[in-house]
Amino acid sequence: MVDAAPAPDAALEIARLTARVERLERLLAARSRLLRDLTPELCMDDLVNLSRLSSGRPPLARAAFGLSDWRETTALTAGDVEATMEQLWRSLRPRDREEE
Amino acid sequence: MTPRKATVLVLAWNRWDLTKRCLDSLGRTDLSGAEVLVVDNGSTDETPKALEAYRWLRVIRNPTNLGFVRGNNAGIAAADPESDIVLLNNDLELTQKDWLQRLRAAAHSREDAGIVGCRLRLPDGRLLHAGAYILPDTCWGQQLGSLEKDIGQYPGLREVEGIVFACAYVRREVIRAIGGLSEDYRSYFEDTDYSLAARARGFKTFVAGDVTLVHEEHGSTSGDPRTFMQIFQKSRETFRRKWGKALEARYGREVFWQSIMNFPTGYASSCREILRALDRQGVRVTYRYVYGPGTPFPVAEPESNGDYLLDSIRIRPAPAKPPIAVVYGQGDVFCQNRGRLKVGFTMLEVNGFPRDWARQASQMDEVWVPTEFNRQGFLAAGLKRPIHKIPLGVDPDYFHPGIQGHPNPSGEFVFLSNFEWGERKEPWLLLKAFNDVFRAAEPVRLLCKIINKDPSVRVVDEIRRLELKESGGKISFIFNREFPYYQLGSFYRSADCYVSAGRGEGWDMPLIEAMACGLPTIATDWGAHTEFAHAGNGYPLRARGTIPAVAKCPYYEGFSWADPDPEHLRFLLRHVYENREEAKARGATAAREVVEKWTWAHAAAKVIARLDALGG
Repeated sequence: MVDAAPAPDAALEIARLTARVERLERLLAARSRLLRDLTPELCMDDLVNLSRLSSGRPPLARAAFGLSDWRETTALTAGDVEATMEQLWRSLRPRDREEE
Repeated sequence: MTPRKATVLVLAWNRWDLTKRCLDSLGRTDLSGAEVLVVDNGSTDETPKALEAYRWLRVIRNPTNLGFVRGNNAGIAAADPESDIVLLNNDLELTQKDWLQRLRAAAHSREDAGIVGCRLRLPDGRLLHAGAYILPDTCWGQQLGSLEKDIGQYPGLREVEGIVFACAYVRREVIRAIGGLSEDYRSYFEDTDYSLAARARGFKTFVAGDVTLVHEEHGSTSGDPRTFMQIFQKSRETFRRKWGKALEARYGREVFWQSIMNFPTGYASSCREILRALDRQGVRVTYRYVYGPGTPFPVAEPESNGDYLLDSIRIRPAPAKPPIAVVYGQGDVFCQNRGRLKVGFTMLEVNGFPRDWARQASQMDEVWVPTEFNRQGFLAAGLKRPIHKIPLGVDPDYFHPGIQGHPNPSGEFVFLSNFEWGERKEPWLLLKAFNDVFRAAEPVRLLCKIINKDPSVRVVDEIRRLELKESGGKISFIFNREFPYYQLGSFYRSADCYVSAGRGEGWDMPLIEAMACGLPTIATDWGAHTEFAHAGNGYPLRARGTIPAVAKCPYYEGFSWADPDPEHLRFLLRHVYENREEAKARGATAAREVVEKWTWAHAAAKVIARLDALGG
């Protein structure tokens, strides 16, 4: 059996949703382009947080490896060596470029 | 000599998706000198038909599912009677091209090798198996390294009590001696049963650490957990009946150990390692917490640390009056010793021992210390009891040069130091020296992993007061972050040189762990660690002399510790940075020496020698 053609209201709704999807896709593409352009300029933590902020989510707490972002505490935090070292080395990249 | 032929026996029961993945990956590996035999254990899915397309292997078909044991035995019976047998689960993926050649080489590398297994890794990269042990207390096999991130632990060929038969290379001599798998079991425990039966005939079981396969555990029985448990418990009871007494016989000695193990302290972590090593060497340990209410550390001990062996030891009934008891902890709890023969085992970071420790030590039949440094300390305190050196150690399965590190991808040379903030570690000296001796533009960095639990100290303020120069050597900090102990080797391997420039050490575990990982080290040439750290395997940092040990720790009062020379530290930092090949060579020497002299197995052997001397 062949489906009947959509009613006029339904056609309007489909057109509206289609337009909305297209607009969101354009926004997403623009955001992806921006993040791609910024990738070489930002450390991964900044990039992740920029991405989160641009989609309305709060930034992640920044891992502290220097005095400027030090968080004094007597509480111990469990960590994974690989993840911590990757975080650490990534956090150093922009500063190194500036030094060069 | 032509290598002996091997029959690779893949047992399959339904789950063609797994079998296909296994066979496809198997077909991409080096199978020279081998025949592949698939035992279709009565599959009712597409397995029988699909196998027809695999013309490079032989298939035998059981009319029904005979279970793991009888299914494999059917394959062993059908194999070339001169060939070795390799049992392979169909939920394995073979990602190492020369896996078979390596297993075969391992199996024929020693006359007494009968069965060889390999490391098994889960698809998500965690280690699943690196050998197994089974305690008589519970008769429940436990896998070494299970569910740890795979960082390259358990390298080399290692003798073990058992292996899981997901992958097992069995030499024909063993099959001739004991036949196939015991049909007392349908599934589970048949593997450890087989290893124990082989051992009874003089054949040992090993794990080849240079072979790692991917294993989707229980892929063939994942359907029904109740069925799994029923089969498992039945097999466990059978195993207990057969081997319970033999497993008890593994223990030739006993000791009552009073200490601390479920806290993040140095005594606790070293206690855990000593107990593991003693168990491996046939000492049945019973344990009781030595601290708690009424002691200098009046805190109850958590019941578990998640380690099956240690938890089992912890709940073993303790004798009311043990023949020999060892208190391993600070000297002010020696009085808790409940043994007929009493041993006190301790250490301290300064050049003597508090009067109360010496008094309590004098109540012991003998006293153990890890190094000559502390032996001299007790002699200086006037102790008249026998003093024996029982060194601590390192676990070379987790601390070795092959452990995977995460070095700075920028190529920077990284100095690493790992310490608790405080007077004894003298962190100001290292931070200042490093910042002074290097320029920010140089590709070198100091990484300090710092712990501070003292609420009266603000570490950041103390560092700021040093007024480190922006233009000086770059320093990064990992602050109050705790890594799983088993991953620490990976941390050390992420650096190029380890620095321990403190004032005094009772052993210096991080230093010897870094040495075991093959790092060159700079360490103050004063204190307990001079027992193992010297100019042949590292860079001793000159002490200008000793100074009064002023710190918050009450035990240090009236004693002295080292005054490391800042000028020499600056020189050594620059020297190591500019002489990397020389430094690497010293690190390699350090790693060799640690394996030869300073493992927990060595420590346990010394404990056993003393137990024998006391008992005899």
